[in-house]
Amino acid sequence: MSPVLLIAIKALAAGLLVVAFSMVGAVLQPKRFAGIFSAAPAVALASLLLTAAFKGAGSAIPQTTGMIIGSVAMIVYCAVTLFTVDRFRALVGSLTAWLAWFAVAGSLYLVLER
Amino acid sequence: MSSERRQLIEDDEQPVAVDLGKLREARAADYAIRFAFGAAISIVAGLASLAFGPRVGGLFLAFPAILPATLTLLEKKEGKTKACADASGGVIGAFGLAAFAVVAALLLRTASPALALLAALLVWILVAVGLYFAFRATDLYEKEDRLLRKFE
Repeated sequence: MSPVLLIAIKALAAGLLVVAFSMVGAVLQPKRFAGIFSAAPAVALASLLLTAAFKGAGSAIPQTTGMIIGSVAMIVYCAVTLFTVDRFRALVGSLTAWLAWFAVAGSLYLVLER
Repeated sequence: MSSERRQLIEDDEQPVAVDLGKLREARAADYAIRFAFGAAISIVAGLASLAFGPRVGGLFLAFPAILPATLTLLEKKEGKTKACADASGGVIGAFGLAAFAVVAALLLRTASPALALLAALLVWILVAVGLYFAFRATDLYEKEDRLLRKFE
């Protein structure tokens, strides 16, 4: 299978899984509990499953090591959004906090993987 | 006590429950936005893998692409306090996400991919839900609110 076609299939599956996890989050209360599903591994699940299915489990393993670093950055990102969303509006606060994700993920990658 | 703080406490005191009626309140456009964000970040991860290798692509499997859409829609519908509560749950979910990645990294070497990812998904939900109830049973949420937000 061509890499572009595999990316397209992964994108479709990821989009559908994101919607599915969003629907679960939408029906749950309280909001703090529902928020767990805002950080659900929807994109990761789609990508790793399809990579393993079409290219073998060995091809998915390097992605998971990168994902561990990305997850640490995600923890920092979510903690930063608590601060930024409270002080700015949700859109500005959550987009500004992306800087924290890039800073942490980039730094950790350079230190651990290079 | 501010009305914002009171609203958060009332929300926190609700029992964990499912309200299927909330699905009817959501517009198709809201889900279309989330679908688009999910598909887009998956494409970014795929292209990053092709260009810079799978480890760089893997970073984007944990990129917070969906949260801005979720928090913005939630703020619009239910106010900033609820959006902050959702973000607070996201911190717990992110710890679960890290556990998912570690379990997947370990089990993909030995077990079948389907079994490895199923186990990783199970660990994600166990870690996230376990941490939620641990935080709820103690006063850690209150401490978090006082530390990071403007409550008195």
